[in-house]
Amino acid sequence: MMYKANWRLLLLPAGILLLGTGVLELKQYPHLQTDFLPWLAAVIITSFLVQFFVQRRLPGCDGLLFPLVMFFSSIGLIMIARLKPVLFIPQLRWLLIGMLVFCLVVFFAEQIRPWLHYQYLLGLTCILLLLLPLVLGTEIGGSRNWLVFGPFQVQPSEFSKILIVMFLSSYLADHRNLLTLPSRKFLFLELPPLRFIAPLLLIWGMALLMFVVAKDLGSALLFFGIAIFMTYMATGSKSYIFLAMVFFSAASTFSYFLFAHVRVRFAIWLHPWADPNGQAYQIVQSLFSFGAGGVWGTGFAHGHPGFIPEVHTDFIFSAIGEEFGLLGVILIMTGYAILFYRSIRIALDCPTDQQKLLAAGCGIVFFLQAFIIIAGVTKFLPLTGVTLPFISYGGSSMVSGFILLGLLTALSKKENGHA
Amino acid sequence: MRRRNIHTWILQTTVFLLGIFACLMLYIVYIQVVEANALAVNPLNHRGTAAAAEVHRGAILDAQGRSLAVTSPNGERKYPYAAAAAAVTGYIGEKIGATGIEGAASRELSGDSEEFSRLGPIAQLLRSSQGNDVRLTINAKVQKAAYEALGNRRGAVVVLDAGTGAVLAMVSRPSFDPADVEAQWEDLRQRADSPLLNRVLYGLYPPGSTIKPLIADAALTEGITTQQEIFNCTGKLDLGNGYTIADSHGEVHGRINLKQALVESCNVTFGTLAMRLGGSKLQKAFERFGFAKSLDGEMASAAPHLPDFSRLGKGDTAQIGIGQSKLLVTPISMAMLASSFANHGVIMRPYMIDEVVTPSGTVLRKAQPSQWLKVDTPEQASLIDGFMEQVVEHGTGTSAAVRNIRVAGKTGTAENAAGADHAWFIGSAALPNRQIAFAIIVENSGFGGTEAAPIARKVILSLLDI
Repeated sequence: MMYKANWRLLLLPAGILLLGTGVLELKQYPHLQTDFLPWLAAVIITSFLVQFFVQRRLPGCDGLLFPLVMFFSSIGLIMIARLKPVLFIPQLRWLLIGMLVFCLVVFFAEQIRPWLHYQYLLGLTCILLLLLPLVLGTEIGGSRNWLVFGPFQVQPSEFSKILIVMFLSSYLADHRNLLTLPSRKFLFLELPPLRFIAPLLLIWGMALLMFVVAKDLGSALLFFGIAIFMTYMATGSKSYIFLAMVFFSAASTFSYFLFAHVRVRFAIWLHPWADPNGQAYQIVQSLFSFGAGGVWGTGFAHGHPGFIPEVHTDFIFSAIGEEFGLLGVILIMTGYAILFYRSIRIALDCPTDQQKLLAAGCGIVFFLQAFIIIAGVTKFLPLTGVTLPFISYGGSSMVSGFILLGLLTALSKKENGHA
Repeated sequence: MRRRNIHTWILQTTVFLLGIFACLMLYIVYIQVVEANALAVNPLNHRGTAAAAEVHRGAILDAQGRSLAVTSPNGERKYPYAAAAAAVTGYIGEKIGATGIEGAASRELSGDSEEFSRLGPIAQLLRSSQGNDVRLTINAKVQKAAYEALGNRRGAVVVLDAGTGAVLAMVSRPSFDPADVEAQWEDLRQRADSPLLNRVLYGLYPPGSTIKPLIADAALTEGITTQQEIFNCTGKLDLGNGYTIADSHGEVHGRINLKQALVESCNVTFGTLAMRLGGSKLQKAFERFGFAKSLDGEMASAAPHLPDFSRLGKGDTAQIGIGQSKLLVTPISMAMLASSFANHGVIMRPYMIDEVVTPSGTVLRKAQPSQWLKVDTPEQASLIDGFMEQVVEHGTGTSAAVRNIRVAGKTGTAENAAGADHAWFIGSAALPNRQIAFAIIVENSGFGGTEAAPIARKVILSLLDI
């Protein structure tokens, strides 16, 4: 067997959690906190059980993915414990729920697979999920992409990205012959009949809608990126890329001139030092964080990332950059690159086009999302708020991440065991 | 075929995404390695203040170990020399920021330092809850003597070690009590006599006749006169259009050479020399002596204001020769000019922070004196220095003379828009153990020879009986 039951890899996240909370306890000695201990123990024990269970259920599946994700989660947890202690137990709880959902997805993978045949149903559900907050939603943090059910707040866009990957993988796999056979030529572009590319146009349109109405620039960019990259992987057609770029430029220009919030984002990106205490406060403070961290970081719990508003969600990476320095930053980024690389390995080993696209799509979601937020908080690109997968605080993001991870793990199982 | 295609496209996409991710990583490397220091010390970055609040701030000491600023056990910042050393220590407050050494050495005083930050988390092990002490080159006794010598007049005194650039005293009046700044903030900020302004570094004044050594140097360097040439001072220099430059008190110096012109501070001769030099050669001379540059670090200062030399009319050119017109200088720039003649044509970079010492006594950083500019040949520098010695021996600066000490200097009485003339005295003195240079200005007080020169004498005396 190629992949062993790598349960020892889980010692790393367990160690990070124990040492991290230990450091925090020592820092506030003698006022010790104990209420999180049962939750912490539950998370560590469950992580070992999950690894054991998954390896038994799917012998030969990729045993590195789960420990890698647990590594991200443990870093995220200790940062949340340090930045927003009140959210530590909730996040531990979300991680437990996430691991449970992960097991369910792995366990029922065979039952989930047939869903992929109902591709248009998937697409419609996805659109419905995205439209829901526009109608019933609440605006939190400047984006109208939340649904509030009593004590729970759900971000439907987190779940619709799973559906869109499933829809695209199935749609593109079924229609790739039609999509690649050009029926008409327009200038240098080779395009299939409109009805075949209509679903793609619809996704782009939806991304634009999120961009404009829900003010959720991050998710819009993510959806748009997923659609483009998956289409290219399925068809290899540069005409689509060109078309998408034209669409993207037109939509960006259009919304730049039409919507003030887009102009503000753009101005902050270009000239953050013009208003460092006003609208650019967050990004300027974030840059200070990276500067204060330098190569080595200030050391865990020795920095001052608290100056950044919303540091525990969108800006958690800045806090890591401050306290763990460039070394920590490179470690985390390499982690995401490995996760992406493993997804692509899984994709290439899958027997059918549809599974290949699904696996690669899952990998792209994690990687692109990490890229968008890391580029945003470092001012590489204009800031668009998405969560850093498995590290930022947030239940929706944690659970949807584990669903994608479950799909990926299920796809990594060698069908005929020859590998 | 079909299979290979989808593999190729997946791999192409993968390579592209890994590529942009690598670009992002390189960009972060740039931020955290190259830009890190600039971001860490940015005045808008409150991390330094936040870190400072967590430690017992270190002391600011003078060269002999006397405390200029200490933190009491209950966390209060005390300034034993109060207003007398305020121009040196500056102030610190959560809402008002920090200036002076409190600002420039804030990281060191709060236990952080550049050397530490390179160690990263390991520095947390070495760091104690006690900040580092900063030992200055200042001599508190001289500082106090200079402060008291100014009396209640507005003005500035700066004393340098000409051989090293070490600042021995820096006084600006009116001053403020650093311990009290936060409480009096609005009043101090709005007062018309600007007590918060460090006049040594940021005060801009017309230099008056104290600029004449520079003009004499330029005239000899450019070969537009010789030591032997005889000028005929009639007491008035006609500039055309009815404008004239006159000598003070209506004096007529008659037939004099360059040396006598400097000793008697003859306006007619120096107006003539400036007109002979013309705009471009004057500009060259001012740039040679560093008047186009400002200082940084703990001695961060304003650059002198030079006129647009290419557009100077005849009258303004002559006025530059006697330190008037649109020429404005800082006291520190004049002290550095004086030091160049005393130090063989070399200006050392002025500095105040001599050492940073950890609570356990380890020296983290020791200042290395360094050359700022080489402005003159040693021969010509000592020639001008000799002229300036005559000024103190039997010229306009006799009240700066000290028995058995070689004192050189130049007085100045600068006309200005604010009222009575500013009194200037710049120069140098050869003490038994070191060569010092100084610049003194007393705002709107009258003659340099009677108002400013006696302060130089008091400063020299205070340095002698250490």
